[in-house]
Amino acid sequence: MSASTSGTSAPAAASRKSLKAFSEDVWKNKTAKINAELFTLTYGSIVSQLCTDYERDFTRVNNQLYSMGYNIGVRLIEDFLARTALPRCDSLAKTSEVISKCAFKVFLNVTPQIGNWSSNKDSFSIFLEENPLSDFVELPMDAARELWYSNIVCGVLKGALEMVQMDCDVWFVSDVLKGDQLTEVRVKLNRILKDEIPAGED
Amino acid sequence: MDPNGAPEMTEHQKIQVQFQLFQESLPKVDETVYRMLLNESIPLAIDVEKRLSQKLDSLPTEDPVLESLDKEVHSKLVLNPLKGNVRSNKLLQHYLTADIDYQAKVKLRLSKIGFSLGEKLSELLIFSNNPNFNFKDMDLLTVMKFLCRDVWRQLFGKQIDNLKTNHRGTFYLLDYNYKPVESFALEENMSKQEQTLLEPYLEIPCGVIQGVLASLGFRKESEVSCNASIVEVPESRTTSQRMNSWAVSFNVQVVPASDS
Repeated sequence: MSASTSGTSAPAAASRKSLKAFSEDVWKNKTAKINAELFTLTYGSIVSQLCTDYERDFTRVNNQLYSMGYNIGVRLIEDFLARTALPRCDSLAKTSEVISKCAFKVFLNVTPQIGNWSSNKDSFSIFLEENPLSDFVELPMDAARELWYSNIVCGVLKGALEMVQMDCDVWFVSDVLKGDQLTEVRVKLNRILKDEIPAGED
Repeated sequence: MDPNGAPEMTEHQKIQVQFQLFQESLPKVDETVYRMLLNESIPLAIDVEKRLSQKLDSLPTEDPVLESLDKEVHSKLVLNPLKGNVRSNKLLQHYLTADIDYQAKVKLRLSKIGFSLGEKLSELLIFSNNPNFNFKDMDLLTVMKFLCRDVWRQLFGKQIDNLKTNHRGTFYLLDYNYKPVESFALEENMSKQEQTLLEPYLEIPCGVIQGVLASLGFRKESEVSCNASIVEVPESRTTSQRMNSWAVSFNVQVVPASDS
């Protein structure tokens, strides 16, 4: 979407190549891979068990998935930073680029589009054209109304961004599983969390 | 599609290589994410159990109208879905202190997740022309071999290390470094609690084993039982670089139905 980082300028290894090529490289060479179908099936089993447990109260399922994702996100960010050694992002635009081109690529091997920027540049949308979580998934009628099947993604983003000191709200706007045209995840930055300074001796 | 054209390969090996190549050509995702998803389902199950039991306690005091209103507001306002979120490590601690009944419920939930995963997984592996599997002479041993070889490789990237059987329906599957709990250790003096905490991590594969068996015709719950336990790693298998790799023994019992 936005212009990719013009290559060859910065000396740091991470930004010498374009972010896209860089994450392609990480995905190819530094990643242990596992069958995507297995991943889909596992997630499916978890969701369906959750629906049974909560007796198809999908609001609770959504929340549970979100909080599961959060718990994953706060730990996944460690792995992400260790593997890519990317520096801190100086703007939300940069963050969005890292999320789409790098994070999604490295973990799920998809590159979603970024768009729909708000006028004051504090929120954007991620358009998931392919979503490995919901391959061959079809929701039953009652679930299609309320369930955000891939809600775990929102939780993961929330948790991971919080760990890099960005307090965000992340939620699904639309999902192809619900009959929408696109799968859209909205990310809204509330504030940048401050670096805590240890209390002085005096 | 002849991989390297080695002439001494038998027909079966050729198909095997082709199967391997096919498996590798399938879409992939990162393994870490998968591990985390799988492992996170343990705190998830604990959390669900906790919330469900709390709900039962608080249900009579709550006004039903108010509750439904609350629900409606909630479904419109997706914000703050983290209300009541508990971190995974806290949940695991909660599991440690909970009573046996509670723990059993959590485990049941996990084994159900595993079961439905296993059922679908076997379809995935069989219908992709798996040469290791032949419907013609499908006996229990073949199925168990399929489990140890294909299912395990798909799930954990390795085969089961040891399969023992008495040829009367009892099988011992030994995995010397069980992947999901590879990096799992508490403080040094807590080994007994470690054991308790590790137990739920064995439930999903137990369910998977049962699910695979069920999808291949060993269906009734009463016929198949599967237990897992942590066992000592045999001296010969300890690898020097790891202090504690957990060996897991799955004990599968299949009682043949009387009519077969």
